[in-house]
Amino acid sequence: MSRFFRQAADSDSESSDSEESLLSSDEDESQSKPAAPAKPAMSRFLRTAHTSDSSTSDSESEDEDDDESEDDGVAHKESKPKSRFLRDSDEEESDEEVKRVVKSARDKRLEEMEATGRAIDNALKINDWITISSEYDKMTRMVQRQQNFAEPVPPFYIRTLISLETALNMALAKEKEAKKKMNASNARALTAMKQRVRKTVKEYEKEIRQYNERLNNEYATLAVPQAQGKPEVARRSVAAEGEDEEDFTRVGKGGKATQYTSEGIYKTLQAIQEARGKKNTDRADQIRILERLLDVAVTPYQRIRVLLALVSSRFDYNASIASYMPTEMWLSAQREIDCLIGILVENDSYSVQEITDDYDDLIERTPEGEKDGVVRLRGSIVSFVDRLDDEFTRSLQHMDPHGTEYMDRLKDEKGLYCTICRAETLYEKKHLHEPLARVVTRRLEHIYSKPDVVLTALESAVAAANVPISLSLASQASPSALIHTLCVHLYKSGNSVLRTRAMLSHIYHHALQNDFYTARDMLLMSHLQETVYSMDVGTQILYNRTVVQLGLCAFRSGLIKEAQSTLQDIFATQRVKELLAQGVHQPRFQTLTPEQEKAEKHRQLPFHMHINTELLEAAFLVSSMLVEIPMLASIDLEEQKRKAISKPFRRLLDFADRQVFTGPPESTRDHIMQASKALQHGQWEQCRDLIQDIKIWSLMPEVTSVKEMLAKRIQEEGLRTYLFTFAPHYKTLSLLFLERTFSLDRRAVNSIVSRMIWAEELPASLDQSAGVIVFHRVELSRPQQLAQILAEKVGAMVEQNEKALDVRLGGATVWGDRADGLKGDKRGEQAQERRRGRGERRGGVSARGARGGRGARFAQGLGSQMTKTR
Amino acid sequence: MAEYDLTRTIIPYLDRHLVFPLLTHLHENGLFAPEQVAAAQYELAKGTNMVDYIVSLYEQLNPDSEVPEEFAAKREKAVAINEQLQQEAQAVLDVIENPDVAQALRQDKNQNLTYLKDNYGLTLEQITALYNFGKFQYTYGNYSGAADYLYHFRVLSTDTDLNTSAHWGKLASDILTGKWDVALEELNTLRETLDARAGSTPLASSATPSHAEPLATLHSRAWLVHWSLFVYFNHPAGRTLLLETFLAPAYLYTIQSAAPWVLRYVAVAAVLSRRVQAGNAAAAAPISSRVRHAIREVVKVVQLEEYQYSDPVTKFLKELYVEFDFEAAQRELQLAERVVGNDFFLSEIREEFLDNARYLISEAYCRIHQRIDIADLSARLNLSPDEGEKWIVNLIRDTRMAADAKIDLEKNVIEIHRPALPIYQSVIEKTRGLSIRTQAVGAALSRTGQQQLAQPVQEQSAIVEGAR
Repeated sequence: MSRFFRQAADSDSESSDSEESLLSSDEDESQSKPAAPAKPAMSRFLRTAHTSDSSTSDSESEDEDDDESEDDGVAHKESKPKSRFLRDSDEEESDEEVKRVVKSARDKRLEEMEATGRAIDNALKINDWITISSEYDKMTRMVQRQQNFAEPVPPFYIRTLISLETALNMALAKEKEAKKKMNASNARALTAMKQRVRKTVKEYEKEIRQYNERLNNEYATLAVPQAQGKPEVARRSVAAEGEDEEDFTRVGKGGKATQYTSEGIYKTLQAIQEARGKKNTDRADQIRILERLLDVAVTPYQRIRVLLALVSSRFDYNASIASYMPTEMWLSAQREIDCLIGILVENDSYSVQEITDDYDDLIERTPEGEKDGVVRLRGSIVSFVDRLDDEFTRSLQHMDPHGTEYMDRLKDEKGLYCTICRAETLYEKKHLHEPLARVVTRRLEHIYSKPDVVLTALESAVAAANVPISLSLASQASPSALIHTLCVHLYKSGNSVLRTRAMLSHIYHHALQNDFYTARDMLLMSHLQETVYSMDVGTQILYNRTVVQLGLCAFRSGLIKEAQSTLQDIFATQRVKELLAQGVHQPRFQTLTPEQEKAEKHRQLPFHMHINTELLEAAFLVSSMLVEIPMLASIDLEEQKRKAISKPFRRLLDFADRQVFTGPPESTRDHIMQASKALQHGQWEQCRDLIQDIKIWSLMPEVTSVKEMLAKRIQEEGLRTYLFTFAPHYKTLSLLFLERTFSLDRRAVNSIVSRMIWAEELPASLDQSAGVIVFHRVELSRPQQLAQILAEKVGAMVEQNEKALDVRLGGATVWGDRADGLKGDKRGEQAQERRRGRGERRGGVSARGARGGRGARFAQGLGSQMTKTR
Repeated sequence: MAEYDLTRTIIPYLDRHLVFPLLTHLHENGLFAPEQVAAAQYELAKGTNMVDYIVSLYEQLNPDSEVPEEFAAKREKAVAINEQLQQEAQAVLDVIENPDVAQALRQDKNQNLTYLKDNYGLTLEQITALYNFGKFQYTYGNYSGAADYLYHFRVLSTDTDLNTSAHWGKLASDILTGKWDVALEELNTLRETLDARAGSTPLASSATPSHAEPLATLHSRAWLVHWSLFVYFNHPAGRTLLLETFLAPAYLYTIQSAAPWVLRYVAVAAVLSRRVQAGNAAAAAPISSRVRHAIREVVKVVQLEEYQYSDPVTKFLKELYVEFDFEAAQRELQLAERVVGNDFFLSEIREEFLDNARYLISEAYCRIHQRIDIADLSARLNLSPDEGEKWIVNLIRDTRMAADAKIDLEKNVIEIHRPALPIYQSVIEKTRGLSIRTQAVGAALSRTGQQQLAQPVQEQSAIVEGAR
């Protein structure tokens, strides 16, 4: 029996327990200090006493009774003197378990474990070490599982460990005396067990010691009081025991006041606060103590103190950043924060502040005792709220967004939103502007990206919870008005980060409401494009989201060109998901360090806030198609063809062109590529059908109107493309024919053709009486073409020179006044700037946009040359 | 037509006294009920010290009732204050009008102040009396007096805030007295002051931008835009200057974000700019590119701001140059003509506007079409066939189309043969000005090299302007 097994088991326990062993080793150190254990020990006793009182669930206790009786039997036979303690402790501990048990799965696990324990006991009796070994393996695995669920190691396991250890020692001693008695495999199993148990015992040293200590204490209570070395502990435990024995009811009905005087509360609090943050403190234990302290706390001051400590220890409970706070824990934290805010709102004379004068932690304070009648306590509610919100987000990040668990968790948002609103009322009442702004930002961040329906639901939850909030949906006319008021409130606050975030959220909301012009004007007026790349990543993500939403908004409103140019920037990077914090980027050539990856994961948005990237891509590609295809058709020189408005689209199109065989379209991209080809050939109907077949449109709120809009655009752009493509083949072209082919009315055709002629895109003119377009086409000879290209290039070069000078002099407005003051152009410049900024931020030269990028690089090159010559 | 009247929108941006002419105009054109206008005039006047005028307005409003006592009291009070302020101001004025002093005064204000203080015992407070008196004169309608005093004050005072305020007051006085040349000058200096102040706090450098600063700039620019309408539409060269100013980026932004309705005036000025060009081309006066391409620019802006503001004038431009729907343009033109006729600033130039608008339509029409039915074009222009023919002949004669267009009277059509631009010409066109631009770059570069960015801003822009 197998070394393999053993090794496997070993490594298992090692890996899973590594953290535990770390902990325990630390504890060893601290336990060597004499002072530390006294208090926890005492409180531990108190706790057990009470829990055993308060456990009321009958069926479970019955279960345990059964177990106990069996255990008893076994234990009695095994070693008489121990039995009492075993039973006793067993009772206590399982009671404790019962108290914590929430899921029945946990009960089952415990039962299973106990069964295994019994099997080990039985095997011990017949000296069957093979069975013991396998059962022990089973048990270790179970304990590990237990730990995976973040539950403490059951004391039962410890007890089994101890008994195993003693039995082993005995068996080994016997072995020495009579070697021949055991067969080979059994002996091997015995040695293997010896090693393993020794190791595990080491790992759980602390628990074992505690366990033994408790046994000793109980000895002490049974035996003469002054029995063993630790009189203090003994006395206290007597008190506890005594109370335990006296009756149950006395404790329940507030008799505790006798024991937990207010002074007692503060002492315990202080003890807990001292233990906080140390590695050996049992966080769950602390929370339990605090919970009970809360029950006894009477005065508001006490309650606030206990609540403050309790909430922070709840947040302490989960130390690692990798995982999230358990949901139950979160919920109780939320309840407690609510409660805390409630107390503070009701009692004006108490105030929780981050900075206060020093005060004595150990005495009761009342408003009358203070100078200005206000008791100030150290603490920060706004950071509690922040933390609560962050934990909520983190839990959403860790859950599978498609599971029911996620949905259930999302429902908690209502409660969270209510808590935030409560905090808002609190700060409003106390006129604390800085935290108020933070809370309002939190509130805004919960609602800005939500459609009206969800927002209304959240607000009605607040109304239902009777939060007397001043800015509620009821007091405002519409959700937009609510967001507006919240944002305006934040604009007035002094914090520039919050202001920026409020601005972006406001723009986002406008874009969501299809209010493109307002959103765009706000974005341009905020001048965020220039500064955003120096901001923190979270704000940058919000900025990206806002820009993308603006692009989608333009698309929905039928402003194709705007949509294209807005979405262009973000698609040119080819890292849409990363920029929107909806997926982690895997760089091709170097790997991320774990820290980077962790940070990246940390800032991911929860799924329900995602902007659908496929829809985004569809919108971008379709608008690119509508812009790019007519442009492609309009130019006939190879040279110019290389310039693309939308690089990503062009790449896809070229790829599609190279395909030898094209099947029926499957993905969104296929649809768009085939539609583009159809459009190139003037088959607008086919193009329209292909585009309208794209399934992802159904995610847009206004599907039908968007589709109609697209159909109309396709007709128009189809006409333009047709004219561009086939103009060389005609001398005249009847307008009537165009009307028929593209099923547009006369006015539209006239308008489009006239515009093309006016803009000198089409060398033609209209003959009104005959109703035809007359083309005047001049074929250029090769040298003429070249001369033209050359002239253009020279012009471009001068322009670049001027730009370079602009860069050198800092700012486009300084030198000359070529910025002709049009929003469109301005946006182009700013977009370019932004792109550059992003490149810097990511620390690598990413794929830059077509002309802008080249221009910038060129300008930089020139700049360095100029510095050299000087 | 009342819905297109901008008086109400504009009033908040004007000084109380500047509104009087607007209301008088409303009174004349009868868009609103006369009683309402009179009531508005009375309310407006009540805030001023022009007591006699108030009384006359009151009598006009309430012909039957007695004039209340309070007016008499107000009058006395006004006279008393006037006395007192005049005495204070007179002391200063006596000193300044002394020819010796006038000679001794220099450019440097601080030096002047010390000089005055040392020799005549004039302090800054006393000089401020000039301001107060000028301001008071303004309130009771003595605009030319106010202009004088404010001018003197400004020459002496070093207080920037009061100086700016005096600037505004002087501008208003000049406008109200109708001295357009002086007003124009005043307007330009005021604009420079404002721009300089805005420029001294650039947006980029201030890490913690106080909200007030850009907002104040925006406000004062919006005011300036409105006030300047008075000047620009009355001064002979005003329209060109208007385009020049309003199409500059800073003012265009102001118009776009704070006062989109001003686009009407910009649009009208753009339409009118054609004539100005024709006139100026002979005189070879330099016209900046901004004015030359005014229409194109304005159309872009009109299109951009369509969601915020549109009226028949802007719609006309949009229909003509964006939609190329000549019928709709014609319809809008008819409306626009009435709007222009009713507008306080534009009513004088209605004919001119109509003329130019017609010209724009026919130009666009001719450029797009090859063969045009004269009757059809006349209908587009809202003219009878005979008039239309005459108009078209004039048009062809006037413009560069002369070589391309021929009238075929038999078929009653115009034939336009526009030969394609020869390739060499387009190349020349493209490369024109390249060398000058390069030189400008070079000059700017060497200058920055020498001066280490001491004060490159103005000089470079001057160079660029010169290059153009």
